[in-house]
Amino acid sequence: MEEEIVIASSSIDGGIGCWDLQTGTENLRYKSCASPPHGLTSVGRRFLASSQLQDAKAASGAILYWSWSRPQVEVKCFPEEPIKPLVANSEGTYLVGGGLSGNIYFWEVATGRLLKKWRAHYRAVTCLVFTDDDSLLVSGSEDGSVRVWPLLMIFDDHQMEQASQLYEHSFQEHTLRVTDIVTGYGGGNAIIISASEDRTCKVWSLSKGILLRNIVFPSIIDSITLDPGEHVFYAGGRDGKIHIGALSADSSSIKSHWLHIIGSLSSHSKTVTCLAYSTNGNVLLSGSEDGMIRVWDPKTHNMVRVFRHAKGPVSNIHVLKRPAYLNPRMLSNVQVSSRRHGLSLPPPLSKYINTMDEKVVGAVVNLQATCNNPLDASCTSSQVISCQIKELQQQGSAAAAEMEVEKLKLDSTQAMQMLQRWKKMYDNLHEFCVDELLEGDHVKSAN
Amino acid sequence: MAKTKGSSKKQQNRGIDFKKIKRKIGRKLPPPKNTTNTEIKSKAIVLPEQSVVSEKAGLALSKKGLTLKELLQHTSHHNAKVRKDALMGMKDLFLKHPEEIKLHRYAVIEKLRERISDDDKTVRENLYQLLKSVILPGCKEDNQGPVISLMMAYIFNAMTHLAIDIRLMAFKFFDLAVEYHPPLFFSYAEKILQNYEDILQKNQFYLEDRGKLKNVLAGLVRCLLLLPSSKEVNLLAKNVPEQKILQAFEHDVPTVFAEYSVIIKKLKNLVPVLVNCFQDFLPVIHDSLDAQSFDCMLNILRSLDHAVTFFIHGVQQGHPEPPPVDQSFSSVLLKKLLVVFPLSPMHHLSEKDDDRYVILNIAITEIFMHLSEWICPPAVLFEKFLTFVEYVLVEKSCSNVRSGKAVREKQISTLIPFIPKLVSRVIGNWKNRLLQAFTKTFQDCSPESSVKLACLAAIEEIIISQEDLLCTDVNDSGQFDYKITLVRELPKLLVLLGNRHPSSSKVVLHLLLRLGQRSLLYDDMQGLLKEFYSTDQDKGNICYGPFLRLARDSQELSICCLYYLSQLDSTLLKSIASCCLCQELDPFMLFRIIEVLHSTYKAGHIQISDHINFLITLASRYKVCPENIFPATDRDKKTSNHATFKSLTSVVCSCLSQMGDNSLVFVILEKVILEQISLKPPLDNSCAMLRILIALDSKPTRLSEQSICTLSNVLSAYLIDVAHCVPEYNDESTIHEQTRRYYLLPSFILFDRSYKLLNLVLNVMGSLINGRSSSLLSGDHIRYAKGHSSIINAIVSVLLWMQRDAKVQQILYLYKEEIDHISRSICSLQSSEEINVPIEERHIIKCAIDRLKTLTSSLYQ
Repeated sequence: MEEEIVIASSSIDGGIGCWDLQTGTENLRYKSCASPPHGLTSVGRRFLASSQLQDAKAASGAILYWSWSRPQVEVKCFPEEPIKPLVANSEGTYLVGGGLSGNIYFWEVATGRLLKKWRAHYRAVTCLVFTDDDSLLVSGSEDGSVRVWPLLMIFDDHQMEQASQLYEHSFQEHTLRVTDIVTGYGGGNAIIISASEDRTCKVWSLSKGILLRNIVFPSIIDSITLDPGEHVFYAGGRDGKIHIGALSADSSSIKSHWLHIIGSLSSHSKTVTCLAYSTNGNVLLSGSEDGMIRVWDPKTHNMVRVFRHAKGPVSNIHVLKRPAYLNPRMLSNVQVSSRRHGLSLPPPLSKYINTMDEKVVGAVVNLQATCNNPLDASCTSSQVISCQIKELQQQGSAAAAEMEVEKLKLDSTQAMQMLQRWKKMYDNLHEFCVDELLEGDHVKSAN
Repeated sequence: MAKTKGSSKKQQNRGIDFKKIKRKIGRKLPPPKNTTNTEIKSKAIVLPEQSVVSEKAGLALSKKGLTLKELLQHTSHHNAKVRKDALMGMKDLFLKHPEEIKLHRYAVIEKLRERISDDDKTVRENLYQLLKSVILPGCKEDNQGPVISLMMAYIFNAMTHLAIDIRLMAFKFFDLAVEYHPPLFFSYAEKILQNYEDILQKNQFYLEDRGKLKNVLAGLVRCLLLLPSSKEVNLLAKNVPEQKILQAFEHDVPTVFAEYSVIIKKLKNLVPVLVNCFQDFLPVIHDSLDAQSFDCMLNILRSLDHAVTFFIHGVQQGHPEPPPVDQSFSSVLLKKLLVVFPLSPMHHLSEKDDDRYVILNIAITEIFMHLSEWICPPAVLFEKFLTFVEYVLVEKSCSNVRSGKAVREKQISTLIPFIPKLVSRVIGNWKNRLLQAFTKTFQDCSPESSVKLACLAAIEEIIISQEDLLCTDVNDSGQFDYKITLVRELPKLLVLLGNRHPSSSKVVLHLLLRLGQRSLLYDDMQGLLKEFYSTDQDKGNICYGPFLRLARDSQELSICCLYYLSQLDSTLLKSIASCCLCQELDPFMLFRIIEVLHSTYKAGHIQISDHINFLITLASRYKVCPENIFPATDRDKKTSNHATFKSLTSVVCSCLSQMGDNSLVFVILEKVILEQISLKPPLDNSCAMLRILIALDSKPTRLSEQSICTLSNVLSAYLIDVAHCVPEYNDESTIHEQTRRYYLLPSFILFDRSYKLLNLVLNVMGSLINGRSSSLLSGDHIRYAKGHSSIINAIVSVLLWMQRDAKVQQILYLYKEEIDHISRSICSLQSSEEINVPIEERHIIKCAIDRLKTLTSSLYQ
């Protein structure tokens, strides 16, 4: 089982904390990060990126990169406007940010190009998530709408012109700001759950585009997370409780005042600000306004562990598989290699769409340094593949090498047989000599 | 019998002496005396018991004493009258015994269906009445399908009957069947439409009998209404399902358009027939329009309209339809139907007739509007219709005095949904003309009318759908002005609606929310919205708006609207605050308002000072009743809003502590709170103030010297009041303990944070006892405790409680002198005033001294 780490950031500058989930030891703390909710993301587990909270007057936003090995900020980007939510797709090829004005920005990580920018909402975007197959982007906004954007559509200029709208679904039922969205399994057929300041969570079907369930909570829900079996979902409320909402679970047997709520976990004195679920350890993590991260056993509803992060409210928690860079055995190795490469992180994100760039249609290049990580071996870049092909062409095919090996093996077995024979001959000779000598002695003594 | 006896006596009296035989001419001879009487007399044979009758005893009987079985037999009697009577008998039998229908419905229907094609008109009428009023409603809750389909074969048979009357009546029966079992239409659609086509083609009779034709057409309208249209799909999508299982299996609804191919084919044949039929009426139109033909025409138009919407729905669903056929279909409509528009009388008529023409014209307009979504009509025709629409909208609003208003309103509300599409489609001057007419209609119609509701839906579409993200084309200023006018109307409408039309209010609020989400609300609307919440009359009288009396969901919607105003001004907040302070408001709503306003503040739409003022106002003005909670009775507990206020305090505290940097907030807050607390609010409100103060303060305190001074006066009075209001009992229950603790805790925490405050408080208490401070300000702060002895008693209790608290006890050690001073003052008081103090008070003071002694002794240990 792979080890998992927890990363967390706060809305007040407390850096990005990083802990080992199993042992509870704290790793590096990455400095100077004050991220809004949903503003922290790990880009393909290669490095961390976070949008930064800014003064209301600030004209441009800020997105910072940290590499795993160093606590300092490595790359600073300044997008056109303040960005709040930030999300990368699972491979880490794209980075998507939602702006205060309701625009969504779509960057390519490797080159830093702004590929697309479109007007998505009437008001500020509050959260962004990808579905598990990375085909759909779901965004929530301050105006209470939840919209589903197929990436196919966004990059298809021809269809875009024809269609009256870009989004596949626009769910308008929330009356206030959308605070969090989670997506279930199943790509385009998944369910999504959205939480809002109107005290409700709503379950939507992506395939049908309809509201499946509306659950009213006793307080505003700021964060939600799904149980891996989609049996229930956990909703962190402003009242300091983590409510358990039923999805496929049977809620009829529980006589509750609130429909579809089957229980709650509580010991938080203050607002629960963010939640995460670790499938490996089967634990639930919750961040609170008092700066603590609590780890719960969802079965027994007991607290298992507490991480202390910062004084201010915890704004983001993510559970990740341990990246190779953080592995203590490899740490020195990586540092050396990164120094050797000289470019551990991609260039900063560009501010505007560069029309000149659009003509160059490059292949989607995955980031370098994948060779360092055996886990990422499956996704190799085109460059690496072309390199390998070249090498093979120069050195002959693998089959030839195999034949060579066979031949050598045969040689070695023959040599071994020869050796055996010589050995036997020597043994015989030795015995003969000894016998001769002994007999000679006998003869002598007899004489 | 008696009569004959009398007459025989007379004859005997007369004819004893003289026998005079008189004979009249032409009379028959009397029978000869020797004749034999051949008359046979018999009486009715009454059998006291017979098998058939005995069975009746437990059975349901009709008025005439017949059982259901007999009645059913009678229905096939050869005499029409008997058949009719049997039907009548069944009617009252079923009315008396409704359960009989359920038991025997199949048997009954199987027998009755034969009568559908009965030769006699009255029998058919009676059968219709029987089915309509008794049998079909009677078995409504059961599965009606099989019952009704039993009749279908006979109905179809009757539809093709030779006698025209029976045929027409059959359509009436069919109408009834579809009414009770709509899916029926789909299973027999082809046959039914064919029958309609046949009967409508034989038009030689309907000019004579329009009443019957009307019935036929009504049935057709009902059937066509069942066809899917795009409207229904929208409605379906809006329904929020509340299913138990999240991903439940769904029933297949016939949404696939291809299933309707048979119906399409038949309908295509039917439409030209209907159009011809309509044309046959045209001559009537030009001289006078009677009610019957008006109904027929209207039904024809409606059927056509349903057919058109059905086709369009099909096109939208992407049904593969050969285009040429469609062309011919629409050209039939264009050439034959739409060219006659507008229908107008030759000479001026009464208003009622005039209304009829308008209604017919509106129906034609509807067809045209639907059709124009599909094909592009010639511009001239389009112009003609636009003129008509504008005329109707404007003319209606001008002629409010005229009769037929209700009729007209209903008709207009059918036209209004087309306005948004028209506005987006038409070019040039028409845009403004239409918008103007629409605005006028909206402004002039009464708030509770259906037109208003239709207008609201249209406004939503005009403003919201067309300002969609991708169509950000430049709006010309004229249109923009109309939109502003329309939006401004909404808050006024909300106030006008009051709380009498909750559903309309909800629609308006929903629209406002939608507008707000798209940043289309204007800040200067707040003045109008204020009236919705509450307004300040002169001299502090508050006039509450409709907000307080609306249902919870509407209240929530209206609160959500506030979130989207770009800057909430203080006057609006004030009116909301006075709503919050009203006792009528549901506590749930109170907390919801605070929650939403706090989010609004976080989003930057409320200024910090306004928000602080709002929260402090709630904490300081909220009326806790009953004011004095002790002694608490059960009845009080139920009516008391004590718990609400407690949670209000904690909510306000948490809001304030979330506002940002606590020390900065504290600086703003300090002044406001001290100001409020010096005003001598009730105990609970003072407690809330102190709690807010400690929630934001830190250890050591951030209070300024001056505020500590002020606070010491206030606090000593507060403590004395607490001691007075929550007295100690010998049997200390935990509830009392808890309550006291709730009141004392904030002051203890303050002492812990600032020792000086405790010192000052002790000083003030000392001087209070001496009576010197009666001139001081502090004396005024005491609200409840009156009289010297009670004040002394209270001070001693406070000191004892302080001593009991571990932390404060530590601090008390530092101020032994002050306590000594207090005890000395009490002793001196006792000695000096011994003469004029009543005996009870003296006793109280004595007790107090005793209690104080235990305290001082423990302090000196």
